[in-house]
Amino acid sequence: MKINFFLIVLIFFAVLAISLFLGPTPINPLALDGTTREILINIRAPRIAVAVLMGMALGASGAVLQGILRNPLADPYILGISSGASLAAAIGIIGGVTIFGTFSIPVFAFAGAVLTGGIVGVMGWKRGGLWPERLLLAGVGLSFLFSALLMLIMSVSRDEGIRRAMLWIFGDLSMSDWERVPYGVLFVFGGVAISLWRAKALNALILGDEFAHSLGFAPQTERVLLFISVGLMTAASVSLGGMIGFIGLLIPHIARFFIGSDNRLLVPASALGGGALLCAADLIARSALPPMELPAGIITAIIGSPYFLYLLRRKNVLSV
Amino acid sequence: MEYHRLSFPLVGNPSPDLAKKDAGQAGMTPGQHGTRSMNERLPSRKIFGLLFLLFTFYFSLFTVSYAAEPPKRIISLAPNMTEILFALGLGDRIVGVTSFCDYPEEAKKKPKVGGMSNPSLEAVVTLKPDIVVMTTDGNPKEFEARLRSMGIRTYVFTSRRLSELPRGVRELGAALGVKAKADEFADHFEASLGKFRIKHARAARNARKVLFIVWPEPLIVAGPGTVIDDALRIIGVENIASGAKAEYPKYSIEEVIRKSPDIIFIGKGKGMESASEGLFKMLRKVPAVREKMVFYVSDDLYRLGPRTLRGIEEISALTDGKP
Repeated sequence: MKINFFLIVLIFFAVLAISLFLGPTPINPLALDGTTREILINIRAPRIAVAVLMGMALGASGAVLQGILRNPLADPYILGISSGASLAAAIGIIGGVTIFGTFSIPVFAFAGAVLTGGIVGVMGWKRGGLWPERLLLAGVGLSFLFSALLMLIMSVSRDEGIRRAMLWIFGDLSMSDWERVPYGVLFVFGGVAISLWRAKALNALILGDEFAHSLGFAPQTERVLLFISVGLMTAASVSLGGMIGFIGLLIPHIARFFIGSDNRLLVPASALGGGALLCAADLIARSALPPMELPAGIITAIIGSPYFLYLLRRKNVLSV
Repeated sequence: MEYHRLSFPLVGNPSPDLAKKDAGQAGMTPGQHGTRSMNERLPSRKIFGLLFLLFTFYFSLFTVSYAAEPPKRIISLAPNMTEILFALGLGDRIVGVTSFCDYPEEAKKKPKVGGMSNPSLEAVVTLKPDIVVMTTDGNPKEFEARLRSMGIRTYVFTSRRLSELPRGVRELGAALGVKAKADEFADHFEASLGKFRIKHARAARNARKVLFIVWPEPLIVAGPGTVIDDALRIIGVENIASGAKAEYPKYSIEEVIRKSPDIIFIGKGKGMESASEGLFKMLRKVPAVREKMVFYVSDDLYRLGPRTLRGIEEISALTDGKP
C-alpha cells in the first residue's frame, strides 16, 4: 500500500510536468522566447495550479464525505453546495455584478457555497449533533431547490448571459490567473489539513458512532469538524472554476482500489489522484481541438468513467 | 399565385377579372387576354368562374403557404427578422415578436410570444397570424412543422451569411407583397458591400490580424461562418479565429497570445469593461492590447439585418488609416 501511494505521488508530479510543457502547442523549456515564457508562466502555470487545487479539493472532500455520511454514493456536490454556488454565480453573471472586480464571480460562488453548507448543516442538526442521513437528505433537497431556481433564472433571463453562466457553471479553467491561487491554496490546503488531522477519527466514524465513541472520539464534534473541512474545500473548488463532475464521487473509490480504506492514506491519495486527473483532463481539453477549448468536466468523466468501470470488474472489492 | 398557374390548363379560359388580375401581377396589360369577347358569353363565364373557384379552393387546400393576399398579420420569431420587416415598412403589420426583439424601438411595444428557441405555440396561435416568419438560425425546426400542421402559414428565412442576405430579403419581400421595397433594400445592401470591398481591397494584401471577442470570460470569439467573420473579411483584415471548428468557439488564451492579433474588437454591453479586465490583463503582451488597439463596438454586427451595414462601417472606420 505504501508503494502504491508512492506511485500515486510520482504520477501526480509527472502529470503536472507534462501538462506544463504540452498543450495546443508544446513548449520546450530550454528554448524560451518572450511569447512562450509569457504563455508558460502567466497562462499555463496558474491554470495548472488551479486545476490541481480544484481536483485535490474534490478528491479529498469526496473521500471524507463518503466516510462521514457512510455512503459510497456521496460526493461533494450531493450536499447542494455546488448548486448553491452555481446559483449565486449565475445571479452574479446575469446580474452583471462587478463590485469585487475580476473576483466578483468567485466571491459570489464562494459565498453561495458557504451559505448553502451552513443551511445544510442547520437542517442536518438534531439533538445536539449532525446526522448523516439528515445531512444527505437536506443536501439533496436543497440541491433540487437551487437547481430549479437556477433553471428558473435561466429560462426567464433574456440576456445572453445564460450561455456564459452555463459555460462558467460547467467548469472553466481558462481564466485562471495567479491572483486566485493563494486563496485556493489557503482553503484547499486548510481543508486537507483538517481532514488529515482527523483521519483517524474518520476511520472510527465509518465503523459507527458507538464504536468511535468507545475508541475515545466524540462522534458529533468530529463530524462537525470534518463537515466544515468538506464545505471549505468544495466552496473553494467551485469558486475557482465551476463544477467538475466525476472526481468527487469516483476518485475516492479508485484510490480505495489501490490504497485500501485507511483514511490516513486514502484522503491524501484521493487529493493527489483528483489533482492529477483534473490536470490531465484539462490538458486534453485545451489541446484536443486547438485553438478551441473543450470543457474539462466532460473529459474527466469520459476518461475516468471507463477506467472506473474496468476497475470495478477487475478488483475484488465489495464496498467502501 | 401558384394555383392560378396550376388551374389554367384545366379550366380553359379563366374569368376575365381573374385573368386581368393575374396579368396585372405578371406585369402584362389586361387587353392582351381579349377581355371584351369573353364578357359577351355570360353563362359559360359563370360556369368557368364556378369551376375556377372550385379548383382554387381545391388547390388552396394544398398550397396554403401561397395565398394570393399579402399577409396582414405577421409574427416574427427572430430579432433580425423583426428588424428586416420594419426596414421593409411592414412594422404596422407585425402582431407578435420574441422577447429578444428590441430594435427598432417600436418592436419593444409589440406583443411577445416567448423566446427564439422556445416560443409559445399558444401565444402564436392566439394572435391569429397570416404568416409566421422564422429563421434557420435559432428557431427550432419542430416548431415550424407544428405551425404548418395547424394550417398556419410560415416563411423560413435561410440566409445566414452576409452575401446571402440580399437574395434572402428579395424572396421574403416577394412573399410578403413588398417586392419593390425589398429589391431597393437588397440593391442598397449589395452596393454598400461592393463599396466596402473596393475600399479595403488594398488592405487585404497585407492583412492585419484581428480578434472579435463576443464574451471575455470565458473567452468566446466570432469564428468561421459568422456574419462577423464575413464583415472582417470584407474590410480586409484577417480573423485569427476563422480556423476554429465552431461558429462561436471557446477560444484558447494561449493561442491568442501566440497569434498576437493587431486589433481586438469586443462587444459593448453592460459591465463589459469590468468583465474583460481580467482577460486583458492576461493578454497584456499582445500587440493589440499593448498598442491600445482594443475597441468596444456596438452590437450592430450580431444580427444579420439592416444594421449590419452600420456595423461594418463602424469596424471599417476603426481600422481605417491606422498602421
